[in-house]
Amino acid sequence: MTPEFLAAVVDTLLPGDDALPSATRAGLNPTPYAALHRAVFDAIAAQAGSAEIFLRADESARNAAVRAVERAAPDAFRTLLTAVLSDYCEAPPVLTALGWRSEPPQPTGHAVSPFDDATTERLGRVRRRSGLWRAP
Amino acid sequence: MPARLDPVDVVVIGAGMGGAAFCARLSERAPKLRIVCLERGGWVDTAAMPAWRRDWQRATINEWASSPNLRLKAPSRSPSADYPIDDSGSPFKPLMWSGVGGSTVNWAAHFPRLHPSDFKTRTLDGVGDDWPFGYFDLEPYYDLNDAAMGVSGLAGDPAYPPKPARTMPPLTLGRLGQTAARGFDALGWHWWPVDAAINSIPHNGRAGCNYCGPCQQGCVNYAKASVDVTYWPQAIARGVELRPHCIAQQVVIEGGRATGVIYRDADGREVTQPAAAIAVAGNGIGTARLLLASGLESPALGRHLMFHPAAYVRGMFREELDGPVGPIGCALYSHEFYETDERRGFRRGVHLQVTRENIPLMQALRLEPAWGRDAHRLLREEFRHSIAILVLAEDLPEAHNRVGLTDRTEADGLPGVKVEYTLSEHSRRSLDFGLDRAEEVLRAAGAWRVVRLPLAPLTGWHLLSTARMGRDPATSVTNARGRCHAVPNLLVADGSLFPTVGAVNPASTIGALALKIADDLAQDIA
Repeated sequence: MTPEFLAAVVDTLLPGDDALPSATRAGLNPTPYAALHRAVFDAIAAQAGSAEIFLRADESARNAAVRAVERAAPDAFRTLLTAVLSDYCEAPPVLTALGWRSEPPQPTGHAVSPFDDATTERLGRVRRRSGLWRAP
Repeated sequence: MPARLDPVDVVVIGAGMGGAAFCARLSERAPKLRIVCLERGGWVDTAAMPAWRRDWQRATINEWASSPNLRLKAPSRSPSADYPIDDSGSPFKPLMWSGVGGSTVNWAAHFPRLHPSDFKTRTLDGVGDDWPFGYFDLEPYYDLNDAAMGVSGLAGDPAYPPKPARTMPPLTLGRLGQTAARGFDALGWHWWPVDAAINSIPHNGRAGCNYCGPCQQGCVNYAKASVDVTYWPQAIARGVELRPHCIAQQVVIEGGRATGVIYRDADGREVTQPAAAIAVAGNGIGTARLLLASGLESPALGRHLMFHPAAYVRGMFREELDGPVGPIGCALYSHEFYETDERRGFRRGVHLQVTRENIPLMQALRLEPAWGRDAHRLLREEFRHSIAILVLAEDLPEAHNRVGLTDRTEADGLPGVKVEYTLSEHSRRSLDFGLDRAEEVLRAAGAWRVVRLPLAPLTGWHLLSTARMGRDPATSVTNARGRCHAVPNLLVADGSLFPTVGAVNPASTIGALALKIADDLAQDIA
């Protein structure tokens, strides 16, 4: 199972688009997935005819092979996809492309404006209503 | 033979909301009692919480997942002392945390009260059962519980009887909440900022929330109230002995009396702790599991399990919104449709709750398709451009929805536990009505596309009613004072007691109820 084939599979899962990078362009190393998800990669290669055929295939054919394996072995496929998405969604290029930050939530948190008087005034309409709860 | 310890007055099992509030109150009202609390898990180390780490997102599906079953499968060990739950017979998957603080460690801290009508559903609407007491009997305990936990919010909500001024101002609504409010305003519907057990400003020695987001992976700066930082310091200061990593195996029942608890201590030894009274507070699953394993005879035990059926509608907006900024469960809610209106085709009502949005990984994982170019497009359309409205319905007590034991013995020494739950036609109608209203408000707020999740499986936080209060031993497990009909010195002090559940998050009521049960016991002993 070559690094090129592994990369082609993960880039089929997450191919990127105008804004988001592909899995490998986001910096994901596909090699470790092979150890834990070998059966899924083998099934994709078998579905395509071989790893080499998958590598030579166009996007549509690659998607078809992956989709067939997803249908045949949904749990195993989902486990691989979850692992790849876990890495992808914490990759700084992906977070930047989403307009998010790569730093963890703490210690800074997020700066927000406090609840303000304008919102309290806006609630005047609601406050003036009555009878929304029933006396037992 | 298990080692036999010196007797104590009261053993409490479980250090979550119910157990903590019960211990704190009982130790205040009856300071001479020797009270021991057994907790199967340990204290949570805030320094080890995921919010400090760059890989924090993946913790939400692994060792800090909300589901104990997911945590047990995680590659790294969870700080929660979990046991597996066979949930194959339920569309809703039980969620909880096992450790000091219980599920308040990883809750969202949305802190509503039940409505007065929730206590009288049989009388008012001919469904469910009346509680053995009413809202106004519990109201002083709601107030005490609010004070102990610390509540941010705004008084004056016409959906409730008047409440005291909230201790702190509301959490900010953010762009997401303000946008959703626009929809409610356009329709003329009720909305109000949530009561949250989260500090909006520094309070009681704890920091104010800095809106970091992942409340359900623990709160690193204690802005979110969890009972390990609210009730437990009080209880311990008053002499309650909390024994972590001690797993109750059996309540010993002899001749109609509970005489003690056999538990496995932190070193794995079996120990018998004799006691004059025992209170169980292990949530609707853990309490039922232990009492069933202990041979408590009650036809209602384990039955009438209720979750609050849940569903979502998510609206996509062109404008940029906040995304996962701020406490996940705490923006605003609407009780426009909380009370019964027969014209809707069901009785009782629904709670609409505008939550904060998911982190990128959670959004990516639930997309359909979840891979390929369309997944990228959907993720970009949603992330920081969506608002979700959670619909909670009131499920009604049905005896066939239940917690039972399996034939297995689990690693913790107890029989395995399973849940069987069927969504009723009544609940389905309630949810569909709520989904229609949620979609309406999102469109009124400007959503250009909406997506429904007709049933949200990973919402089984509210584990209720499996040892319910009542007057009839054939249909209830305890009396109004939380004492088991069959074994009067065996008490329950958690959400298992609820005869009905309303349509709102239960923690506020669990805490208030545990305070009342503690007061009742103190009064009985005096």
